[in-house]
Amino acid sequence: MATITDQGTAKVGAQVGRSVPRLEGRDKVTGRAEYTHTMRLSGMLHVKLFRSTVAHGRIKSVDTSAAKKLPGVAHVVTIEDVRKVIPDPYYGPAFHDQPILADGKVRFVGEPVAAVLAADPHVAEQAAQLIVAEYEELPAVYDEVEALTSKVHVHDVLKPAGTFADLKHLKDAKGTNLALDYRLRRGDVDKAFASAAHVFEHEFRTQKVLHLSFEPHATIADYKDSGVTLHTASQGPSFVRTEIARLLGWPENKVRIKVPYLGSGYGSKLYIKLEALALALSMIARLPVKVALTMEEMFYQITKHPSTFRIKSGVDKDGKIIARKCEVYWNGGAYADIGPRVTQKSGLTASGPYDIDNVWIDSYALYTNMTPAGALRGFGVPQLVWAYESHTDMIARALKIDAVEFRRKNLLREGRPHPTGTVLKDAAIEKVLDRLVERINWKQPMDRGTGVVRRGRGLGIAIKAVISPTTSVAIVNVSADGSVALYCGTIDMGQGSDTAMAQMVGEVLNMPAESVRVVQRDTDVTPYDMGTLGSRSLFHMGHAVRRAAEDAQEKLKALACEVGEPEGSNIPIPALFVKKYGMQAGNVIGTGIYKPDYVPPAPGTGLSSNVTPFWMISGAGAEVEVDTETGHIKIAKLISVLDIGKSINPKIVETQISGAALMQLGFTMFEKMHLDGGQVTNASLADYKIPGFHDVPTAMENLTVDVTQSNGPFGAKGVGEVSTFCVSPAIANAIDDAVGVRLMELPLNPESVLRALRVKAGKPLGDE
Amino acid sequence: MIPFELAEPKSLTEAIKLLAPDDAMVRPIAGGTALMLMMKAGVFHPTRLVSLGKIEKKYSGIAAGKDGLRIGAMTTLSALEQSLDMKKLAPVITRTLRTLSNVRVRNVATVGGALAHADPHMDLPPVLIALGASMSIAGPSGERELAVEDLFTGYYETVLQKNELIAEVRVPSQDGTRAAYMKVTTGSADDWPALGVAVALQSDGNAVKSARVVVSAATSKAMRLPGAEAALAGQRIDDKILARAGEAAANEADFIADVRGSVSYKRELLRVYIGRAVRAALESGAH
Amino acid sequence: MTARTIHFTLNGAPVTADIKPHHNLVELLQTHFGLTGARESCGQGLCGCCTVLVDGRAVSGCLFLAVRIDGTEVVTIEGLDAGGKLNPMQEAFVETGAFQCGYCTPGFILMANQLLDAHPDPDDDQIRHYLSGNLCRCAAYPQIIDAVKLAAKKRKTIAA
Repeated sequence: MATITDQGTAKVGAQVGRSVPRLEGRDKVTGRAEYTHTMRLSGMLHVKLFRSTVAHGRIKSVDTSAAKKLPGVAHVVTIEDVRKVIPDPYYGPAFHDQPILADGKVRFVGEPVAAVLAADPHVAEQAAQLIVAEYEELPAVYDEVEALTSKVHVHDVLKPAGTFADLKHLKDAKGTNLALDYRLRRGDVDKAFASAAHVFEHEFRTQKVLHLSFEPHATIADYKDSGVTLHTASQGPSFVRTEIARLLGWPENKVRIKVPYLGSGYGSKLYIKLEALALALSMIARLPVKVALTMEEMFYQITKHPSTFRIKSGVDKDGKIIARKCEVYWNGGAYADIGPRVTQKSGLTASGPYDIDNVWIDSYALYTNMTPAGALRGFGVPQLVWAYESHTDMIARALKIDAVEFRRKNLLREGRPHPTGTVLKDAAIEKVLDRLVERINWKQPMDRGTGVVRRGRGLGIAIKAVISPTTSVAIVNVSADGSVALYCGTIDMGQGSDTAMAQMVGEVLNMPAESVRVVQRDTDVTPYDMGTLGSRSLFHMGHAVRRAAEDAQEKLKALACEVGEPEGSNIPIPALFVKKYGMQAGNVIGTGIYKPDYVPPAPGTGLSSNVTPFWMISGAGAEVEVDTETGHIKIAKLISVLDIGKSINPKIVETQISGAALMQLGFTMFEKMHLDGGQVTNASLADYKIPGFHDVPTAMENLTVDVTQSNGPFGAKGVGEVSTFCVSPAIANAIDDAVGVRLMELPLNPESVLRALRVKAGKPLGDE
Repeated sequence: MIPFELAEPKSLTEAIKLLAPDDAMVRPIAGGTALMLMMKAGVFHPTRLVSLGKIEKKYSGIAAGKDGLRIGAMTTLSALEQSLDMKKLAPVITRTLRTLSNVRVRNVATVGGALAHADPHMDLPPVLIALGASMSIAGPSGERELAVEDLFTGYYETVLQKNELIAEVRVPSQDGTRAAYMKVTTGSADDWPALGVAVALQSDGNAVKSARVVVSAATSKAMRLPGAEAALAGQRIDDKILARAGEAAANEADFIADVRGSVSYKRELLRVYIGRAVRAALESGAH
Repeated sequence: MTARTIHFTLNGAPVTADIKPHHNLVELLQTHFGLTGARESCGQGLCGCCTVLVDGRAVSGCLFLAVRIDGTEVVTIEGLDAGGKLNPMQEAFVETGAFQCGYCTPGFILMANQLLDAHPDPDDDQIRHYLSGNLCRCAAYPQIIDAVKLAAKKRKTIAA
């Protein structure tokens, strides 16, 4: 058969499972990798936004006259100007609820009200400060639980985008802040609670935090009447194209989305962000227009969902959980973004990796007057695991059962139905727990200390379903010299997907991954992909890429047959093309499409026989030292154990595991957006702190269990988010183990710990 | 940033002339690391900045004398960090600088700027106050002397006139002084401190003859704590004395709440860290 | 406001630029010389993404007025792979996979070289301390420590 290699017929060795250094490494270490935030087009105008200072209000007036008079200002734009070029200027993935600029009302502090365009960004900044707006302030709602019943409504009428079936019933709904209510009903929880030997009920909360990718959001729009090109820092160019085409009323082929490298995203650059605004401004200016945020402005773009989780469990006399009721409130902020999907997709695993016969889940997406919330490395699951794994430990502690033994008694095992009804397959929950117990020396006694510093350890385990159903398409292009290019829409924002995808192509076509070129993302060139999110790419795009490579392989074989090569011929590819075309000419194009099978959750019960093509499983263990005089916590050890199937690139996997765990460590220990009347009071890296070198635990272990995902490409599945899930509860459980106090709200900062210690000692700290 | 004029005088005298006694929009700029932040944040829009980068070289050097060290106000923090004279005279300053902000800021920020900016979270002012440092301040009518402890009047506020410049900082000899500076962060490890405590002790072993105790970051300005100093003076240090000093400090400091902690929490931190800082000073050995 | 002309050495070559007093060093490099390896992220000198060497010392380009560059020698990340050969630190970052998105990487590489100039054989604590003023949101910190140690070895081999 034809063998694609320009190194003769020698087998190049396995490409999958090899720690291939990142293909883009050289560009990144030389500072030559291109990012949208530092891109420039000739003639381009810069934008500075004028933002709302009130959380909820009717706009009485916006005076732009002084700004317009400033020399060098090209345009000052408000929604009235936008409407002249885009008559229905509302966008969003789940709801068409977000106006390109504030339209009559403002719904959060920081919402863009007007935009100044100038060739010199300093002029735009100066002019933006000359704009004056008057508002009639309205009562605002900030708390997610309050939002469910509040008389304050963020939107007068709800406008579902029509994309999702489970949102249709909310069309034209009035008098509500509810942007989705997902429910799961299995068995009879009330009956089970009545018969339970013990019932436990707790409420956990998470705070508002944000992605803070180091490349702030940026989009350059270059509008021409014949077509529009957007250079944008996006995790989902296909979706951006669809939405821009919809806003313009154009076919998609007139809209081109180009994405260079991303200074990461973590979910912040999904769906549509600055693109609609940049488009409108470029249409008005009829020049290329760049909208690039500062780090401060990112606090007004997108955040993680704060949440309140009320969880109630019934346990029988043997320590078996027989019922669990979960009520989860997601604080979605002023615009829905992808919140309704977070609510549903994470909501369905809210009862955890446990085998429980009676489960009730209510998951509510709520509008509030804050910066919108979206997906952040875990699609809601870290908020859930924080609650259910803290709760699990509290039950074990109350029943005086070892926390691991209690989990083992209730573990969801292979072949058993998950509460959704989907039977568990390739979910190594028990193996993950075993490895964790071994690495943290759970069975050995621990020196807990006697003085000011006390030590403790804790752990947690978790399950997540992948966002489904989603589609990926890939193209493999074999040139006449035998070199290969891969066209796929997955955005490599640092997770190493280009390298992993090249490894899969190399594996199929028997060539070094390093020789495969992964073409930069450009919707004119790279085919459809649903988006780089939720740890879906390696599985979905991986399959599409594998199929595209296999298709190319088949076509090469057919070509060899067509030109008269014998069965099993080893003719080099270049010779094959010469034989066919008489010279170095032609291409062989392989294509691959992947969309997994899926059964949507039934309305009302949330049940489904096939809710996910694969499960993500992880565990974390922590050892902590608590300074009992100040509440400071030192993380002595942080262990992550993951089921990711087979590893495509072990080195990159390790970096993903440690990186995601450390990010979650920040969300656990100190990261918090402080809000005062809807105003963020720490919107800068000086006051919103993220983990640095000295916050890395003294010891870290980043482990995977040896398993295969039987339906995954080369036995693999996703890894990007998985080590975030259990960090928060593992640490909270360790703190309880060390000093006997239980924290119910993130972050676990020193003041929270000391306050809890003082309450326990009967000497609570004052409220000053 | 919004446009402004930049003047680059060649001498301190010329710089003072370019400053305006009544115009808050005209300010001197040295390393600029702090001022640039205020300008970028839009809280300060200068019409003119007077750069001190080209004034006489004598204002950026460290000279050792019999009675201590003279540090030119334009000396960078990294020059001070690397000064062997400084390390010999007061190793507490060398240690403090090692964890002050980051290498890039220390390469640019100046000693004079770190004082004149009067941000209560800064590390150097409390240490200089504890060591009894003073300054020479230059103005239109000549120079005047001022103790660093008398410089600050409040949050980002000093006694400096708008046309006065810190010319030099003097750290007196520290024979027999044992000193420590501890900062407590409540966010990431590299956060601005929620509390800074500097102590300088004259002691014979465990017996403290006199003490200078300074709080910063948790209060609106770096300031001495006379009650805590009195509780330590003339005492042999044990847990009880430290608790008494901590209590005195907690009662006399005027705390401010912010994202780094409530008043109640900062009070507890100070109560604990007075003792920790005194013990660290005693363990550090005499200068 | 009045423009002025500055003269300086950029990655070894003498250059000239017309700038205004309110321009910072990052803008100078990006708009006049198309060099985007130093990039503004936090805008407060805290993340290190805009690190540039001025007269051999690391500064935050976003807090450094461009006028102060007059008469200095400036080195950026783009000056490290002269002749197409990666600097040992750059090689070490690639080989150890010490980055993910790469946005902070040039700053880390410049700072880590400064570290090795001062401490040719640093231990973990020295590395953490010296680099603690650079942040990586992807948190590739453990891998960066590996990279710095590997680079120290490479530099020794070259020197030997």
